Formats: sequence, structure tokens, C-alpha cells
Amino acid sequence: MNSDNHSSELDVKLENIWASYNSFEPILQNCSLKINKGSSYVLMGPSGIGKTTLLKVLNGLISPSKGNLEVFSQLINNPKDLVSLRNRIGYIPQNLGLINNLGVLENVLLGALSSTNLLRSLSGKFRDEDLIEAKESLKLVGLEDKVNRRCYALSGGEKQRVAIARALVQKPKLLLADELVAELDYVTSREIMSLLHDVRKRLGLTTIMVHHDIDIAKNFGDKIGLLKHGMIHAEMDSNEIDVDIIKNMISSDNV
Amino acid sequence: MFKMNPKHNLFFSIFLVFLLISSINTNFDLMRLFSGSSNLFLFFEEITNPDLNLLRVAISSMFETLQIAFLGTFIGILFSIPFGLVASRNLFTKRVSLPGRSFLSIIRTIPSLLWAVFFVIIVGLGPFAGVLATAVYSLGFMSKLHYESIESIDPEPYESISAIGASKIQLMRFVVLPQAAPNLLSQILYMFEYNVRASTILGFAGAGGIGFYIMGYLQILAYSKVMTFLLVVLITVLLIDFISMKIRDHYIVPMLKSS
Repeated sequence: MNSDNHSSELDVKLENIWASYNSFEPILQNCSLKINKGSSYVLMGPSGIGKTTLLKVLNGLISPSKGNLEVFSQLINNPKDLVSLRNRIGYIPQNLGLINNLGVLENVLLGALSSTNLLRSLSGKFRDEDLIEAKESLKLVGLEDKVNRRCYALSGGEKQRVAIARALVQKPKLLLADELVAELDYVTSREIMSLLHDVRKRLGLTTIMVHHDIDIAKNFGDKIGLLKHGMIHAEMDSNEIDVDIIKNMISSDNV
Repeated sequence: MFKMNPKHNLFFSIFLVFLLISSINTNFDLMRLFSGSSNLFLFFEEITNPDLNLLRVAISSMFETLQIAFLGTFIGILFSIPFGLVASRNLFTKRVSLPGRSFLSIIRTIPSLLWAVFFVIIVGLGPFAGVLATAVYSLGFMSKLHYESIESIDPEPYESISAIGASKIQLMRFVVLPQAAPNLLSQILYMFEYNVRASTILGFAGAGGIGFYIMGYLQILAYSKVMTFLLVVLITVLLIDFISMKIRDHYIVPMLKSS
């Protein structure tokens, strides 16, 4: 399966990207990657290899030092170009980025900030449709009875559901999720992943996820990319992957 | 074991010289302290007999002092939070935060009593000058505490919410302030306690409150009358400290623990 001829349907295109946290040691080195619209791409690789860096390049938290970046077929020349696209890019970081002092509903509504009029949002008044959307998203992730709970009182799995609900309220075209279900038990992680899968299908959402669990990658990704030496070392369709090969490649002694 | 570094010896000598000079220039004299303590008995007799006829005046002037502290602290908060945000280096570049910080430290160099003198010149004698002095002093002091706690918040939520398109003002409103809130509240409460104590002497400069009476009776050496006022100050300060301790324990400490 080769999809090079579908360049018009790409949501993300990286060409020879170099990027780093500090200028001393580049984490991404000559990294190239194409992701089709509406597809689910899973990034795998040992820790510290640059998976998070790659996600942060895509929403402008890290600006690449070299290379070409296209998001939604728009060439990103400087980080400001990405800032204007951010309202269409959902982001669930590894630590979820929830505000513990705020309630569940308020945290979910933060997803609507970018589409809310500034003065309105500062007074804390969100649009009715956002409120309805937020409550529906919470229902969808199974937290309808914890709407008014403060976030610090939630379990790990519940917090991840809140983060997903926040991403849904944002109505992004592209969702970046960093080790979303890494800390959850087998059943809950599958529940949350299939929830995300349904939403993705329904909204035609493109997702780029970092996972360590090969089983999850296989079941919920269309394509899997292995990051190694700062670039996509190998790429395969999820229905034709060989679990043993991946295991070998991502085990850290192979870095 | 005790090898003295020659550099340390130098510092130690300078330290000793300063001690000596300061003692001479301040007329430090323990003999005088002891020989003069007989005067204390006279004083003691007066202050153990507070003039209770003045109790009503003392209470009502203390109430004025409380109101000066309350209103002054409130107006201080209105400005200290925006200033605290602007002076935070994790939110603004040096070009913005540094002038903010410099302004605040200039304000802090002036003690509240001097601010009181300043505002008495502008608005005349009375509690209004006291309110303004308290507000300005609180602004300088609280903003520093504010930006220190704002700078110590977890940067992750800020980064994540900015990555999904929230603007800077929205981030301050929904990410920074909620995260810093427990600390800010604790600082505000502390500032109010401090201001209740500090504004008891604002009357020395004519800026209203109980200090006016304390000053007046001190000048005519009416210690038993002074004592009535000091007792009221003591009881009020203890009461305010007790109440704010309760508020802290019940509302702020749980928030601090959870964040």
C-alpha cells in the first residue's frame, strides 16, 4: 500500500525537519513524514527518541531549525503561521495539561477558548452550544455524573477522559495525543481507545498518537511509524505489521 | 580543624569594626539600661491602670483603622494582581517584566508611614489618606509575592492550552490565575493581617485611625490612656490573626494541598 499519489489529501507533511529542545543536540534529524487526511497514525519508539518533539513541532510548541513543514496543505514558514492554525489542532500532552483547581466542566470548556469571543470568555460565559457540547462530550466519555467535580479528585483514567472531552469540544481537524492510555489498565485503555476511534471516524479526524503498546497501535492505528535516530526509520500499515520486528526495533538496546 | 581563610578573617574584622562603630554612634550603654529601669516602675503603675473611660473612643477608632486596612488591602489587590502578572517572567518577556519589577521595587522602598505623609499632603488629614497609603504599600508588597508564586506554577497546562489556540489573556484568566489562586489568596489574607497592624500607626502621620490617639496621648505622657488604646489594638490584632488562621486552615490549606 503506497499512498504517495494522494498528496492533495495530506494533512501533515514534514520534509527533512531538524528540531531540538535546545540548540545543542538535535532530536529530530532530517525527519520526513506524510500523514493522510482522516487517518490514524501511530508513532512508536523508545523513550527520549523524539516522539513528543515531533508532536510539538506540529502545533508550534517547538519550531524546527531546518526543513519544510506543511499542515493542512499550508506551508509553515515561521511559528506564527502555526499559531493561527492551533484552534484546529487538538493536543493531549502526556501529563494531560488539566488545571487541577478547576472543575471538570470548566476544564472541558477550555477546549472552546480559541473559538470564543475574548471578552465573553474572560467573563467566564461560554456559548450555549459550547456548554451543550461540553456536557455531551462528558457524557460520551462517561463522566456525566462528575461534571462539577474538581479535577484533582479524579482518578488517572477519569482525567484522561476529561482531556479527551476537552479535545472534542475544540472540534479539531487534527488531534495529537501523547501516550494517551499509557497509565491505564487493559480494559480501560481499550475502552478509551475505541471511544476515540468512534469519534475519529464520525468526525473524519486525523490523529497522530504516540503509543508504547503494540497491540493498541495495531488495533487503532492505520499506519505505524517507528522513530529512530531522529527520523522515521520504518513505516508500515497496521494490518501487515510483524509484532516481533517492532518489538526488536523499539527495544532500547537498538537505539 | 579551624583553618581560617584569610578572606574570612578580613570579613570578620570588618564585621567587628561595624559592631563597634554602631554601638558608639547609637550610645549603646547597658549601665544606662539598668540604672534607668527604676523609671519603669512609675511607667508600669500607669499602664496597669488603663483609663477605661476611653474604651468607647478606642474601639471606634480601632474600627476606623480596620476599615482603612480593609479598603486599602482591597484596592491594593485590584492593582497587585495585574501587576503581579505583568512582572512574571514566565508570562512576559524581560522587556515587559523588568520595568514592572523595577516599578514595584521602587514602591516597596518607601514605608507605609511615609506614603501616609505623602497622601496627607495630597488629600489632607484623615482616613482617606490612610486608605491610599495602605493601598500603594500593599500593591508593592503583594505584587512581589504574587509574581513569585505565578512564576512557580506548573508550566505544562499553560503550554498545552496555548497549543490549542487560547490567547495570552485567556491563558492568564483560565490557566495561570486558577493555578496560583491558593497562594494568591493566602498572600492577600496575610497582607490584610499585616495592614491591620501597620495601619494602627498611620494616625501618627494624621492619616486616620487609632494611631492618632496613641500619638496624642503619648505626647502628653498620659500612659494610662495610651494603654487603653494599646489593649484594644492587641485584642483586635489577636482576633484578626485567629480568624484568618481559621480561614487559612479551612479554605486555603486544602486548596494548596490539592494543587
